[in-house]
Amino acid sequence: MPEFSSQPFFEIARRLEIRGENGWLAVLSPATDSSAGLDQLQADLRSVLQKPTRAIQLQPSTFEELREAMHQPDDDAVILSSGTSLTQEKWRSLDIMRSALERKGPVILWLSPGDVANLTGYAPNIRSFIGASIFLAGPDGSIMTDAERQERLNDLSQHFGFTGDEAVRRAEAGESPHEPEFVEWLVLLGRGDLL
Amino acid sequence: MSSSITAPEGQLSRRDRFRAYMQAFNPTAPAWEAIRAGLVIEDLHQSLYRNLAARADLEPGSQQLVVGGVGSGKTTELILAGRWLNKRSQVLTFYVDVSTETDLSSLNSGALIASFGRQLGRRLADGPGAKEHTEERRQKLKESYAKVTEYAYGKTELMLADENGSWIEEAISEGSDVPPGRHYLHEVPGKLKPPLPPLNRDIQEVRAPLEDLLTTAKEVHKDVVVIFDGLDRLLDATKFWSVVLQDLRLLRGLKVSVIITAPLSVLFGVGVGQSISDFFDRVHHLTVIPSDPVDKSLWSVLQKRGAIEFLSAPLPSVLCTDSGGVLRDLITLARDAAEEAYVSDRDSITLADIEKVAHQLGTGYLRGLGPEAINVLLELEGSRSFDVSQPANVELLLTRRVLEYSSTDFRVHPALLSVIPRPEPKSA
Repeated sequence: MPEFSSQPFFEIARRLEIRGENGWLAVLSPATDSSAGLDQLQADLRSVLQKPTRAIQLQPSTFEELREAMHQPDDDAVILSSGTSLTQEKWRSLDIMRSALERKGPVILWLSPGDVANLTGYAPNIRSFIGASIFLAGPDGSIMTDAERQERLNDLSQHFGFTGDEAVRRAEAGESPHEPEFVEWLVLLGRGDLL
Repeated sequence: MSSSITAPEGQLSRRDRFRAYMQAFNPTAPAWEAIRAGLVIEDLHQSLYRNLAARADLEPGSQQLVVGGVGSGKTTELILAGRWLNKRSQVLTFYVDVSTETDLSSLNSGALIASFGRQLGRRLADGPGAKEHTEERRQKLKESYAKVTEYAYGKTELMLADENGSWIEEAISEGSDVPPGRHYLHEVPGKLKPPLPPLNRDIQEVRAPLEDLLTTAKEVHKDVVVIFDGLDRLLDATKFWSVVLQDLRLLRGLKVSVIITAPLSVLFGVGVGQSISDFFDRVHHLTVIPSDPVDKSLWSVLQKRGAIEFLSAPLPSVLCTDSGGVLRDLITLARDAAEEAYVSDRDSITLADIEKVAHQLGTGYLRGLGPEAINVLLELEGSRSFDVSQPANVELLLTRRVLEYSSTDFRVHPALLSVIPRPEPKSA
């Protein structure tokens, strides 16, 4: 069994969607091109959750700044990015302010591998919220192969009984079925903008 | 990446079923929400909340400590106790989550008093009965509240210099004429605004305004109880003691009953010369709940939240065992296993789903452990001996890698135990 579950961003977003309010999870950022990964995660969260999504840097933020940022507003999706690894002291201090970070909208921790170790060792209260939900982002997790993508598109077309072009037409006309699979279809067709 | 898809109508109801289940098993939902939704089993910890509430009610000025590991259900018990007091007695109860009020990492003595005083003042000014106060009383309340607020958040004073240019350390009172000469503004820091320098101001200075507020409160209510939550986040017991000693002494003097949480480390007194039993009237320790086929306490948690629809025997027992009896881990595993089933297009949870999420949970606990800590865990598993006088071992308890079932029964978290790398057996 792999150390952490490798998941496409879309799948991570789908997990948050089914969880409903107050969801917390952590995503291990890819070793290279972390900022592009962060952008992609933000885009997929926005599409699937149908909510505005913000990224907040943990590093320079004070208690007051973080508390305010998390609650104004408190129902959008927030990605807390550690940037380069946080110090043990910073993790301790974040841990004791966990209650101040609790909010209605989902919270996603975007972490480097070193941060995951520190999360477990120095932030047991936050780790308790994350539980087993630590997912791995990266080339194998975030990007489907062309063959996989095509296979999924065929499945979706068969499921709904019309073509991808028709799906786009219906979305443009505001006739999208209210199903997560339709959202996935549009994202795979590269038309997440229609959601 | 391919997965089967069911018919759209079926999909919708399937999604609704899972959504309802996930809502019931939300480990990060606020405790009051779970209570309100009827998802909490009130006698899980032998109705601890009733004991807490009854003692606070019967003995004004009593001080009780609630100690328990992360995710053991402390906040739920505190909220239940507060609710019980509100329903059944003439007690005015306050619930203060200190960690949302101030930056606990720079907490000073006086912060608990400041948080409590602010809530008390607000309640008297805006709560039920506020309009019935006389004008004179309203004015007095306003002044006392302002003093408590100054104590909490600090103030800026206008100071005067004498003719030689030396600063006179006497503030010019607000509203009075400003005498001629050189002036400067002097910042007096409060108790709640971070970052805080170490302060030596006498905590007694807030006693008088607090007493005024309490006198008004006790005209309507028999007694006042304050529940301080969030202090269990202060993993360092030294910090906990430095805050509570002064604040709780003052509250005892004012006959305000206190229920307060503390980190597990206070039980073991590592690096601190304090004994909790000397200081508190009662100490309640929430241990983890063993997975017991006869007792079935953990199983009842799953049942209450409607897991039956998704879990067939013996899967509930597997979940209970893998959680180690940590309530939040149990709820998390139940939720995550369902999520696995959902994303894999299954209608109910399988053993493979549970094994997968338990493995992930164990891996999370394993991360960051060095060889020494792993040896301690393997030794504990083999010999059942665990030395809690060692700070490194207390750290394993605080991070929930080791669980305490009783004062003589310590075990490695089962999810962690299943992923610990074992040394190769030596060849003969």
